Amino acid sequence: MHPTRTKQERRELQERQRAAKAAKTAANGVNGKPQGGKPASQPAAAGGAPSRKAGRVSDAASKLPPAGLAKAVEKAKAGQSSAADQSAKNQARGLLIFSHFGLPKPVSSAKGDIHPVIARTALQFSAFKITGANARCIATLTAFKTVIQDYVTPPNNTLSRHLMTYLSPQISHLVAARPMSVTMGNAIRQLKLDISGSDIDLPEQDAKDALCRKIDTYIRERIIIADQVIQETAGNKIKDGDVILTYARSSVVEKVLLEAHASGRNFSVIVVDSRPMLEGKRLLAVLSDAGIHCTYVLLPALGSVISEVSTVLVGAHSIHTNGAVYSRAGTALVAMMAKRHSVPVVVCCETYKFSETVQLDSFTKNELAPLGDLFSSFPNTKPRESLTLENKPNLEILNPLYDLTPPTCITAVVTEVGVIPPNSISSIPVALGRLL
Amino acid sequence: MSELAQSTAFDIYATFQQFLQDDQISPPLAAILSLAEAIVKSNAGTMFELVQALNDGAEELKRRSKNPISLNAGCELFIAFVTLFPHESDNFAELKKELEQQGRTYAREAISFRDKIAELALGFIKDDAVILTHSYSRVVLKALLHAHKTKRISVYVTESRPRGLGLKTHEALTAAGIPCTVVLDSAVAYVMDRVDFVLVGSEAVVESGGLINYVGSNQMAIIAKAANKPFYALAESYKFHRLFPLSQYDLPTHNPNILSFPTPTARSAGHGDAPSSAIPDATTKGPVYPETSSSSTERAMSQEQIAKNPGVDYTRPDLISLVFSDVGILTPEGVSQYLVGMFAG
Repeated sequence: MHPTRTKQERRELQERQRAAKAAKTAANGVNGKPQGGKPASQPAAAGGAPSRKAGRVSDAASKLPPAGLAKAVEKAKAGQSSAADQSAKNQARGLLIFSHFGLPKPVSSAKGDIHPVIARTALQFSAFKITGANARCIATLTAFKTVIQDYVTPPNNTLSRHLMTYLSPQISHLVAARPMSVTMGNAIRQLKLDISGSDIDLPEQDAKDALCRKIDTYIRERIIIADQVIQETAGNKIKDGDVILTYARSSVVEKVLLEAHASGRNFSVIVVDSRPMLEGKRLLAVLSDAGIHCTYVLLPALGSVISEVSTVLVGAHSIHTNGAVYSRAGTALVAMMAKRHSVPVVVCCETYKFSETVQLDSFTKNELAPLGDLFSSFPNTKPRESLTLENKPNLEILNPLYDLTPPTCITAVVTEVGVIPPNSISSIPVALGRLL
Repeated sequence: MSELAQSTAFDIYATFQQFLQDDQISPPLAAILSLAEAIVKSNAGTMFELVQALNDGAEELKRRSKNPISLNAGCELFIAFVTLFPHESDNFAELKKELEQQGRTYAREAISFRDKIAELALGFIKDDAVILTHSYSRVVLKALLHAHKTKRISVYVTESRPRGLGLKTHEALTAAGIPCTVVLDSAVAYVMDRVDFVLVGSEAVVESGGLINYVGSNQMAIIAKAANKPFYALAESYKFHRLFPLSQYDLPTHNPNILSFPTPTARSAGHGDAPSSAIPDATTKGPVYPETSSSSTERAMSQEQIAKNPGVDYTRPDLISLVFSDVGILTPEGVSQYLVGMFAG
């Protein structure tokens, strides 16, 4: 601790160091490592000075003098990659929250042998043409089927050993487009198991056909048929006269609502949506076409409608062992609001979305949406240009795509093995083990 | 298949009623015994037909019983047991006999479940404990009588309107020498600070880990939680049910008539004959207070008004501290894991 500096002096010192660092970063963009100033400013910031320049989040301030030089290097690198487009914009600093995800990168030209189907799928992912955990998983697996069929085992090698190494760069290319979803991860893990278990003596075409059949079975059993079971089970929870609230667009919830309507139940739906993706508009179109009475509100209006809701039905990107549900950003808000008003929250989720990890918050794992006009193919009320998200000087756009709903806000999780309370999610593998 | 349930030779509901006459046998056990009888009396030739017949029998029981939840649990348990029973014997008649035997043996053993539970609960009852219980439950009674042998306890029991079964508990406890006082259902919050813990029985324990019991249990659990008193539920394992109510109004016993309001405009009052009519005579004639046997200063609800009230309610799992059962002492989360293990898929 440096005892003699006052707050004012410490602040001035830090500002000088910051300006010096920014100048250095803009100048050469590689080695922005301020050595001497950092340790001295570390205890100073740890000691106090919670109020910095306007616009900074206060806990980011305590993070700013980093524990080690590694963070400084990382920031310098992040500064470097954005230096090109940001140096012109007055050395904007980059997001402090979620900076550990790195900035979303545009899909670079394919390195190595990327199959055209994979390249196309990756482009569709990064352009958000295919969204949703189920859709992405099915697209990935379908692409892999083509890749496997086109694959030729090199001489002196076996399919079961080489195919996986061949697929790895393809998978990396997809992950570079958008971070891997839990569903894709589980599916790929199953695929790896199937590949390594494939019979060595089988002729190549037969082995490939067997793998493609296994992929088809996986899609059919774990997704399509699971959805049908969930449709029925969750549909039974919908009674005549109910008002169902749903958020954004979940493929499973859409199926549940259509099925319940087709079986003659009389209910209405409130679709809650949020910018920038506005996925709810598509769900609204589908449900209205089917003849279901729908209301459409944006997320901030949730408080006005929640008192009329009988049940909240949402989908999930993944569910975790501690019962937490990782889903589209905004779902947690809907769940917490519903809990406050004693409205049951039902999550519809296939078992293949189950992840063995424990997740406690939305910060350790998340994904930032890229900027620009990627979303919403539906007409907006204002001109597109004014709604497009762009960084400006002194304005950073922060757009996480997912959030975590704690198990306390969830009433029930409907899976194809039954309706499970959130605290018992860890018993799903047991139930599955009995079935398989 | 349907001729089984409705044939004059074997009326499953009558058999059920007969079994119920034994005071020790609760509705789920009586259901199991009736279904066991149904197996022997059935003329099914294959396992499929038998299960079909049993399902029909269970439906019949559910339809005609006023409070089907607990007997539903028993039926499902038995039918699952029958379906999973290994049937290598080619002689189907022998298999049916075997199943019936198993059913009876289970029912006999099940009576002893209450003793097991009483023994488990004993460890949680301290000397000089003040216990609050609700309405009438055979397993709670057994637990209290068992504890009375070795410890000093006093018991508050709620009146439990409208059936007033709490008074039955009061009689039984007083006869055994346990100091017991009946409290009004509305005085539960008043008495809660005096109480060491709450002990209730159950109609069913559901998949969420929650409890279905006589109306008033949910109230008691909420007050216990607010007063930081433990809330224990005693339930035999055949009362565990795969039901998952999302809320009070998601219970199978809930119908739109419960807690419905009468329509405000007076139309022809001729509709008022059906017992579950939503338009009582009150709308046309003004409030009618029926004569009661008690003094003229007390009033009581009419039968129609009572019919608009629920008979059972659902207590959420986060309000329950522990569930005591013959398979062990479980947390509400543990109940769901047990159920998943039992009925997986």
